[in-house]
Amino acid sequence: MTHAVVNRKLLVVVGMVLAIGLVATAEITASSGAGGAYQEAPQTAAPPVQSQGVAGEKLDAENKARQSKPYEEAAYRTVPVVGSRVAIWAIAQLHLLFAAFVLAVPIFAFIVEAIGYKTGDIRYDRLAHEFTKLLSVSFSLTATFGAALTFMLIILYPKFTNYMMSVFSPTFLPYVVLFFFEAFFLYTYYYGWGKFHPLVHLGLGLGLNIVGTAIMFIANAWLTFMMSPRGVSDAGAVLSVRDAIFNYTWMPINVHRVIANVAFGGSVAAAYAAFKFLQAETDEERAHYDWMGYIGNFVAISAFLPLPFAGYWLAKEIYAFSQTLGLTMMGGAFSWLFIIQAVLIGNLFLAANYYLWLGMGRVEGVQPLQKFIKYLLIGIALCFMVWATPRSIIATVSEIRAMGGSSHPILGYLGVMSAKNTAVNILILTTFMSFLLYRRTGKVATVAWARKGHAAQLTIFAAVAIFVIFLGVYGYFVEATVRIGLSVPQVLSVLFAMIAITAIDVFLFRGASRTGEVRWGRIPAISQYVLIFIAVTFTWLMGLMGYVRSGLRQHWHVYGVIRDQSVDAFTPTLGFATKVVSVTVLLFFLLIGIVFWITSLHDRPDFGERTGRHPKEVPPDLPPGTPAERLKARTS
Amino acid sequence: MRVPLMLRIGALVLATTGFYTYVGQMVPQKEVQPPRATTLEAGISTADMAKIGREIMEGKGICLTCHTIGKSGALRFPDLAGIGERAKTRVPGLTDVEYLAQTLYEPTAFIVPGFPPAMPPVNQPPIGLTDQEILCVIAALQSLGGTPTVTLETKHHYNSGAAAPGAKPAPAAAPKGSQLRPVPMLQPLASHPVAARLAVAHLATARLAVARQGEGGEVTR
Repeated sequence: MTHAVVNRKLLVVVGMVLAIGLVATAEITASSGAGGAYQEAPQTAAPPVQSQGVAGEKLDAENKARQSKPYEEAAYRTVPVVGSRVAIWAIAQLHLLFAAFVLAVPIFAFIVEAIGYKTGDIRYDRLAHEFTKLLSVSFSLTATFGAALTFMLIILYPKFTNYMMSVFSPTFLPYVVLFFFEAFFLYTYYYGWGKFHPLVHLGLGLGLNIVGTAIMFIANAWLTFMMSPRGVSDAGAVLSVRDAIFNYTWMPINVHRVIANVAFGGSVAAAYAAFKFLQAETDEERAHYDWMGYIGNFVAISAFLPLPFAGYWLAKEIYAFSQTLGLTMMGGAFSWLFIIQAVLIGNLFLAANYYLWLGMGRVEGVQPLQKFIKYLLIGIALCFMVWATPRSIIATVSEIRAMGGSSHPILGYLGVMSAKNTAVNILILTTFMSFLLYRRTGKVATVAWARKGHAAQLTIFAAVAIFVIFLGVYGYFVEATVRIGLSVPQVLSVLFAMIAITAIDVFLFRGASRTGEVRWGRIPAISQYVLIFIAVTFTWLMGLMGYVRSGLRQHWHVYGVIRDQSVDAFTPTLGFATKVVSVTVLLFFLLIGIVFWITSLHDRPDFGERTGRHPKEVPPDLPPGTPAERLKARTS
Repeated sequence: MRVPLMLRIGALVLATTGFYTYVGQMVPQKEVQPPRATTLEAGISTADMAKIGREIMEGKGICLTCHTIGKSGALRFPDLAGIGERAKTRVPGLTDVEYLAQTLYEPTAFIVPGFPPAMPPVNQPPIGLTDQEILCVIAALQSLGGTPTVTLETKHHYNSGAAAPGAKPAPAAAPKGSQLRPVPMLQPLASHPVAARLAVAHLATARLAVARQGEGGEVTR
């Protein structure tokens, strides 16, 4: 009782503080905006000059002429302290992170629900519903940040925003209509759970996915146009809206984002499951959330494995559009960013594998496979080290002299593409093998050709690994024009291995006997922190790669067409960029924490039930007791 | 004492983002300012032009992003040491100034054997050097192994309006997204949209791989 009163008082105080904070923020923004936008205002508002003879009249006339000047649109306005660019950057990133989550969750909720419908396993249906619970609050936040981003663009970059609107105005109405449909599908999908025929409900999920993806495609047209403009003249005049949409990087970004969103959404959903697992009080709850975390992580890593190939296509199209843009990305101002990216992706691979290895402990009879883990770990660690080795090393003048250049005489060889391509491909192959080991944990193949099947899988794996390494080494001995073509067979051979080995595995373990059951929930707690680590790393990676995609334009709003004339036209240091990314990531996790909390209210006992305070007067149509007791009585 | 769950998770999130921020501070820090227009006074000496040209090469021309000066081994693009001398005999019938102008205005007209056709025309956006700035770059290139001879009044077939001897006319500013021109062996394909697209994609693959060969950049601290 006392607690409830204190809580209420606390809420009132917090509410008042928030309200004051909001008013103060609005006041500061309005005053700073006015200062930036209308620089001439103080002159026009100056006290009238007293007429003193001819000179005074002239001054009066000049003053009037100034006052009668037509309105001129400001090109830029500023935000105090952080500046316009950082403000837009943070809001856009938060909008994108939530949008990615809102687009990704329906994809795997739909797939999981479909599996549940097909197999008749109610667990899948429950899991899909649990994922969907996270959607409604996230959807509101996405829309809120989207609106904030739009208003900020109009306020801070009015001229540029006006230009973009003039190019893309035909896309706005479809965007709004699709947004309406997305809201319709999302809420009917969530609130209609169990209320429709399963196929109707699956249809709603499908509609939600189609509409959500279409919305993303439209927004992608705007941002990719800024990076690789098409359909406009050199001066920016619109020649073809269709060409402006179908620009060089539009489709690669669409594909890359769909895959990356699934990976990101899977990781955040897995983090949610981890959070619930750590909060769980019963074995049943732990089993459920362990399974949910496993599925989320499985989705995330499955989408993550083909992501480098999609990224490769995107980079290729960037080069196809403009060599300068491509070279700026890979060999110029942003080249060191890819070393940071290597650290992040290396960590993701390590963490994902570690989680899988910990997960093997859930299954009885795992020992025969655990002996392979140390070899996989060695392979992953070596690949990670090669990938994160820069071509040139940060060194003092004397160290550079001692090395004979900025590249280390031995390690420098690992900093080139031949080594890095090889490392990435082996890394993907190794992680795939971890998946495979996990998949067959606790199972024994019973088909007649089991021995031959295992041998074929091992042969493919070994042959492809040797082939990839051979091409990597061969690259050092040939000239540039030959070397650059070697990455294609490397990638294709790894894809071939993944497809061929999986295909064999499916038939090999059809009707397999079990050596032990999967004991969901029986996994060390550290595995759940690994899931949270993966989610944070994914989010940070998205922030970093969002920065390079946008920052690549350098001093151009629309690359090569509309130049950035603002005070923020310079490209900041990578150190500064990583700080902004980190702040955005922390804000995102603070907000996603609130989303988790709001979602968890759904399962919270009623207020009266928790406090023991029941309504004094029970409505005549309700039997006495708490809501839970009434429910129990009804169901019994 | 048991640390509350929210605190543990918060610490993990903070530590992870903190670690990545730290990694971000460990790499070379370089703030890139937007390029400024180069002011060239009339009657400027050739030696001064070469100095300005070198600054342009290191700055707004972004030449040294790909090219090296005085390096050997597995290079991404041709090394520029000695180019002042080599330019005189590189393409039969072209003087050093004409050849250097061609490499800057129309870089895919002649490709150095063993290297991919990946250089953009420097007179077009986003690099967008002026004719005078390009003359300064030519002076700087001539000074690498040779003696600069150009002045601001020097005419070549890309700034005189005259057709190049046995070559295509100077390229006009291209529509957006068409900086990449098919190399001669791919030109028959250019008339077919799908084939041209595939050719472009093939070249782009080459460029991506070549550029990544030196990933990690040239910057040192």
